[in-house]
This record gives sequence, structure tokens and C-alpha cells, in this order.
Amino acid sequence: MRWVKGIVKGVLVALVLFFFLFPVYWLVTTAFKKSEEWFTWPPTFWPSSWTLGNFMGVEGGFFGSATTAIATITPYLRNSIVVALFVALLSTVISALAAYAVSRFKIGGMRFVSWIISIRMLPPIASALPLYVIFSRLRLINTWWALILAHLVITTPFSTWILITFFNEIPRELDEAAFVDGAGVGQSFFSVILPLAAPGLAAVATLSFIQSWGEFLLSLVLTTGKEAQTLPLYLGRFITGWRIAWGPLAAAGIVTMLPVVVFSLLAQRYLVRGLTFGAVKG
Amino acid sequence: MQRVGFLMILPLLGVLLGLTMYPFGYMVYMSFFRYSLASWEKPQFIGFSNYRDILRDRTAISSIDFTVLLLAVAVPLEILLGMAIAFLLRDTFGERVFRSALLIPMMVPAVVAGIAWKMLYNFEFGPVNYFLSLLGIPKISWLGTQFFSRLGVILIDVWQWTPFVFLVLYAGLQSLPRDIVEASFVDGASGFSAFRYIEFPLLRPLLFVVLIIRVIDALKIFDIVYMVTFGGPGSSTHSYSFYIYKVGVSFGWDIGYASALSVLLLLAVSLLVNLLIRMLRLRETLEL
Repeated sequence: MRWVKGIVKGVLVALVLFFFLFPVYWLVTTAFKKSEEWFTWPPTFWPSSWTLGNFMGVEGGFFGSATTAIATITPYLRNSIVVALFVALLSTVISALAAYAVSRFKIGGMRFVSWIISIRMLPPIASALPLYVIFSRLRLINTWWALILAHLVITTPFSTWILITFFNEIPRELDEAAFVDGAGVGQSFFSVILPLAAPGLAAVATLSFIQSWGEFLLSLVLTTGKEAQTLPLYLGRFITGWRIAWGPLAAAGIVTMLPVVVFSLLAQRYLVRGLTFGAVKG
Repeated sequence: MQRVGFLMILPLLGVLLGLTMYPFGYMVYMSFFRYSLASWEKPQFIGFSNYRDILRDRTAISSIDFTVLLLAVAVPLEILLGMAIAFLLRDTFGERVFRSALLIPMMVPAVVAGIAWKMLYNFEFGPVNYFLSLLGIPKISWLGTQFFSRLGVILIDVWQWTPFVFLVLYAGLQSLPRDIVEASFVDGASGFSAFRYIEFPLLRPLLFVVLIIRVIDALKIFDIVYMVTFGGPGSSTHSYSFYIYKVGVSFGWDIGYASALSVLLLLAVSLLVNLLIRMLRLRETLEL
């Protein structure tokens, strides 16, 4: 009986993993397939010859499609990196300050915290349109700043939330000891609390980076060209063409996905806590 | 102290007030105007006319219809599957690796997932139809009919968000007091009755939180629709957010009408968020 149960369990686990990982597997292998093998019947599950052509570009392009390779990706990659780095930095600073005030001085209390949650849950489409109108008056459309500001709306509530729980775990006696020794709030915050909170700050910066990196809707509405558009938009534009070059598209997908996957595995511990507003410690 | 504290929350307050509260106020205001960026006319006050138009707008109704369908089918599926997987993987050899692996669908940017699924759903050569053909099922036009394109979007949502439910419930399961369950086994309880009478009731509050978060997020689905079906065929997979985008940006720049649609969405989400906040027991989790 025991081994029957074991086998059933093993089969189920394999099915679960297959369902959840196959789409990613398919994307990754397609990125290394030659154009003949993008679409075949039966599908090519293991490329017969691997190529880097989809990444580096192939002369002459692929059967008349407008796009050749992801060589054109560089401006978008640059925009993504700049925007996500700025968002990560600003978001961490802004939310660390606010989270400390909430954790230690109970500023705003329940109402402030509830307000932060509601902003975190609000639909981005609802802020996208008014932001478009406002940003176009400020001449910010299609700039890095438009994206950085818009992404901060998404990342700061999330980060503040995680950091409040993080600061709460640092014993208050440490602040008090610093105060007794004559340190001001600023000094105790910077030289006592922040070093202790370093792992939390790193996690929050990472998660902000991820969120900004993958954000699509706000970026779609607030940018118009390659001066500011980020990787997800590059992919989005790719797919609406009449003939889709799947190999390069999958290759660009890998470039877009890779940092996110790596970073999220690193920050895994804090992810669940942040996503459920501390309902579970994770 | 209070003064320093206030200074410290000021940047966050500035960002959130300036970039959400002010735009929302502006949006509510605009929802009472006829205002299109495509024409040069000045905004014109028309009262509740935009809201009345929603009731007569068949595409709007159909987008609400699809969004509700998504809530009614995808979310319960995600909850059930997520819970089942949490119990399946508990105490399994290698559960840490599995847990990290299952993180991937949820973390991969939705746009990238959309590309992968668009390939999988390909009518002639897609792996999904290939796997079905192994079972003797003829090729399905996944993106070509209303029924299957809606089903297709639902399936992607399940793929993307079941891992979220799983991760949360798994963490919740691990935080349950082990000794109670073990004591029940000593008293002769079966695995199922331990679940039914001990673990499930203990998990219930968490389950509600996950449910509400999923419902709110499902109301906002956009990226997947944009990438995989672009709302089609016809308007059959227009999610509500996608329809607002279409009205407000891609076809028409009708800011007034799109604002009215957004206000409704905002109202629905606010109600749900209120419910969520009550479930969270903030005072305890945040020691406020």
C-alpha cells in the first residue's frame, strides 16, 4: 500500500511540475531553435541543432518578417535598466523612512496603513489615464521620469509594508539605548537600525526592481517610442506584427525574464509576506 | 519625535497623494465631461451621461460578463488547486526545490508568459493541440472562437496564479501547530478528518485573505489579454481593464467615457479592499 501511495504521489507531483514549467521550457528552447523548427508537426521538443542566431541576429532576417533579431533590443534594455534601478533606489529610500516612522512612532496608525494597502490594490488602468493627461501637460510623456514616478506608485506601498514588519522585528531597546547615549532620531536610524535592516532593504530593493522591470500597462500608456519604452513594451510591439518571428521573440523573452527569475528566487522569503500583507510570515 | 516621524513619511505621502489621489480626483471629475483627446473640442459638462452610456454599451456589458466569468471560474480553480498542491507537496522529498520552481509562473513578467502561451495555443503547430491529439482530440482553434479563447485566458490565469495560492497556503500550513494534528492521529483520526476538523478551520482566515486578493487581482487582468488574444476574436475576451484601455487609449482617446468606466472599477475594488483590510487584523500583524 505504501509504495502505491508513493507512486501516485510521484505521478501527481510530476504532472504539477509539467503543467507549471512547460510553458517556460517551451519559450527557452524556442529561443535556441533555428527558424525551421519554430513550428513543426509534431512540435520540436528538443532542438536538433542549437543556435544563438535568435540572440545575435541572422543575415537576411526570417522569412520576410519585419524584425530580424534582438539586436534592436539595446535601447529598450537600457531604458529598463535605468528605470528599474531608479525605482528600486527611490522606492527603498522612501519606504524605509516611512516604515520606520510607522513602526516606531505609530505615525498615522491604522488609517495610514490601511490607506497604503488600498493604494497597493488599486487597478493600474484607473491611474494610467489620468496620469497620461497630467504627464502630457507636464511634458513628461515618453520620458524615464514618467515611468519612474508611475512605477513608484506600485512599489512603494508594497515595500513600506514589508519594511514595517521588518523594523518591528528589530528590538526597540536598540533605539532606546542609542537615544540614552545621546543620539538623535536620524543618527540612531542611520547607524543603528539601517545596518540591522540591511537584508530587508535588499529584499525590498530587489522586489521593487522586479515589479518595475515587468510592469506593462502603465508603461504602455505613458510612453510612445524607444527613447523611454522598456522591454515588456518591446515584446508587446513585436507580437502585434503580422508575421511573428518566434525565435527572436522568445530570445527577447528570455532577456526580459532572466533577471526577474533570478532576483525573485533570491528574495523569495519576503515575497509571500509582502504579497499577503503579513497575513502569513512565509 | 512625532515631528521627525511626520517628516519621514512625507516623501511617501507626497508620492501617493500626487500620483494616485490627485489623478483619481481628476478622473472622477472628468467622468462627468465629454472629453476626447482625439478632437480639439474643449471638455463639455454632460452630467451622468457617460454612466448612462455604459448600460447601453454592449461591448462594456460583454467585458463585464467575461471578467465575472473569470472570477467565477478561474479563482475557485486556483484556490482548490493551490490547496491541493500545498497538501501534496507537504513533507515531500525536495519540497524546497519544487517550491522555488512553482514560483516561476507567478514571477515571470506576464508579457513573457503571454508570448509562451501564444505559441502553445497555435492552431496548426502548437504543443497544446499536439498533447490533445495524443488523447485523440482534434485540433482546437484556441484563439479563434469565443468559448475557447475565453477558456484559454482562464487557463493562463490558473497557470499564473495557482502558485500564489499554493505558496501562501503552504507557508500557512507550515505555521500550524504540529502537535495538535499529531495528537489527533494518536486519538485515531484519519488524515482526512484531521484536515476537515483541524487544519482547514485553522487555515480558513488565510484562505479568505487569499481569495479576496485573487478576486481583486482578477478584476484587473490586462497583460495576458493584450498579449495573447488582444481581446479577440471580436470582443469576446475583452477584460474590463482591456476595454477601458481600448476606449481610453488605443481606439479613440475618449477620456470622459473611459473615466466613467474606471470609476466603476475603482468603486468595486474599493469595496473589496475594505473587506480585505478587515480580514487582515492589522493591529496584531503590525503591532500598531
